[in-house]
Amino acid sequence: MSLYERLGGAPAFQAATDTFYRRMLSDERVSRFFDDVDMDGQIAKQRAFLTFVTGGPAEYTGKDMREAHASLLEKGLSDEHVDIVVEHLGGTLADMGAAKEDILEVAALAESVRADVLGR
Amino acid sequence: MSSATEPEPAQLLVGSQVIGLRGGETVLEALERSGFDAASGCRAGTCCKCMLRADNPPPESQRGLRPTLRHAGYFLACQARPTGTLRIDQGEAPPTLQARVQRSEVVAQDVRRIFLVTAEPLEFRPGQYIEIFHPSGATRSYSVASLPADGVLELHVRLVPEGLVSGWLHGLEEGDSLRLRGAFGQCFHVADDERKKLLLVGAGTGLAPLLGIARDALEQGHAGAIDLVHGGLAPERLYLRDELSALASRWPNLRVHHCVLKGATKREHEGSLDEVAIRLSGPLGDTRAFLCGDAGVVRLLQRSLFLAGVPSGEILADPFEAAPV
Ligand SMILES: Cc1cc2nc3c(=O)[nH]c(=O)nc-3n(C[C@H](O)[C@H](O)[C@H](O)COP(=O)(O)OP(=O)(O)OC[C@H]3O[C@@H](n4cnc5c(N)ncnc54)[C@H](O)[C@@H]3O)c2cc1C
Ligand code: HEM
Repeated sequence: MSLYERLGGAPAFQAATDTFYRRMLSDERVSRFFDDVDMDGQIAKQRAFLTFVTGGPAEYTGKDMREAHASLLEKGLSDEHVDIVVEHLGGTLADMGAAKEDILEVAALAESVRADVLGR
Repeated sequence: MSSATEPEPAQLLVGSQVIGLRGGETVLEALERSGFDAASGCRAGTCCKCMLRADNPPPESQRGLRPTLRHAGYFLACQARPTGTLRIDQGEAPPTLQARVQRSEVVAQDVRRIFLVTAEPLEFRPGQYIEIFHPSGATRSYSVASLPADGVLELHVRLVPEGLVSGWLHGLEEGDSLRLRGAFGQCFHVADDERKKLLLVGAGTGLAPLLGIARDALEQGHAGAIDLVHGGLAPERLYLRDELSALASRWPNLRVHHCVLKGATKREHEGSLDEVAIRLSGPLGDTRAFLCGDAGVVRLLQRSLFLAGVPSGEILADPFEAAPV
């Protein structure tokens, strides 16, 4: 069973997406990346993000990751921001009741697409 | 010949084209196989990029969508495995109707309340908007403040300086005729939980859809608290106050608040509309919010109310974007 399923699947992630997105919007270090995108679209994308990194039903390739973040590179997206995302991701999953080793596993998955996200 | 036991074949209707569904195939897969350029993303019911509309979509393909979208028949093509015939809505524009002005009155310095009667009945949900045709063919959107049972379409139109359509509408007189079509928009009341707290916030003519939504919810027997917050720059910009007071005294669960940016009297709260609305409404975790009016104000409200705790799926926003020039 994937972590996505163990944490309660779609219904649990619906609420967790709000928590995660509130964390991002309230963090001055990253909020500007989310400023000029419409909120409904953004929520759906962040839900896709959480689903993807917890092994749930979301199919993304490295190329998709490059395309999704290409416009953010122009705004200065860098390693530091990936670290912050991973930090809030860990916090969100801990709030949902994920175990420490699960969070580490998710962080490793996020890590594996770092180069694509940063267009390297 | 089909007998009662023989199930209807699973198929899609797209315009005049019929696409048979192969075993286990989703609507998205069938559209792609048939050469349609269908939008898609995660293909797993998460990103919502493949959203389409039909009259009878399979319920499981509507999971996670906000209540008004489900009500309007939106569904995710990547999750839909219909059993019978599914006619995909291709976004055909609704028919154009003739209407005439029944009454037009000034309700604030730059706002007119215009009542229209259509030649044929228009289907709409209070809070949705219609498109009005200017004689030049240009169209602009205006929200409907009345209920279908009223038999008239009530619009609140603010005169925009140099505005083509708002200026023309302000000059129309009783008996003048015009063309319109509709209705559009996803900001309306859905009676799925009669105890839910409803928070209606709008600036300026954002009051029009909110008035329709509030009346609709009340008439459908909504039992939870309804807070309506109308904002404006200064007290004289707020309008229909007597009518709102009368509505609030008739329905004990409706509270009406006024908010101005500056120069508040005893009858208004003073401050930024989002802060005042949050202060007035108490805990927001089980609230549905309707946000209407000027696009900049609506975006601010959306963000502030979300950060203050309204679930994203319960925020229904109707930003009055200016028409592209
Ligand atoms: C979904 C929706 C619902 C709407 N509902 C209502 C409603 O209920 N009542 C209502 O009064 N309006 C409503 N509007 C706005 C309305 O559709 C028109 O945009 C508005 O009346 C201006 O049209 P116009 O032809 O008079 O001005 P235009 O000729 O389009 O514009 C004249 C000039 O004014 C600028 N301008 C346009 N709008 C604004 C603005 N809001 N603030 C500042 N400058 C502006 C334009 O950029 C242009 O330079 C709604 C819009 C949308 C998208
Ligand atoms: C840690 C690795 C990351 C992963 C796995 C990831 C994953 C995703 C996914 C799956 C999407 C949705 C793509 C789509 O459906 O279009 C997305 C979009 C987005 N991500 Fe990330 N992301 C990562 C890091 C970041 C970082 C560091 C930021 C900025 C601080 C960021 C900001 C965004 C934004 C703003 C969008 C939406 C872009 C748009 O509107 O098209 N992401 N991301």
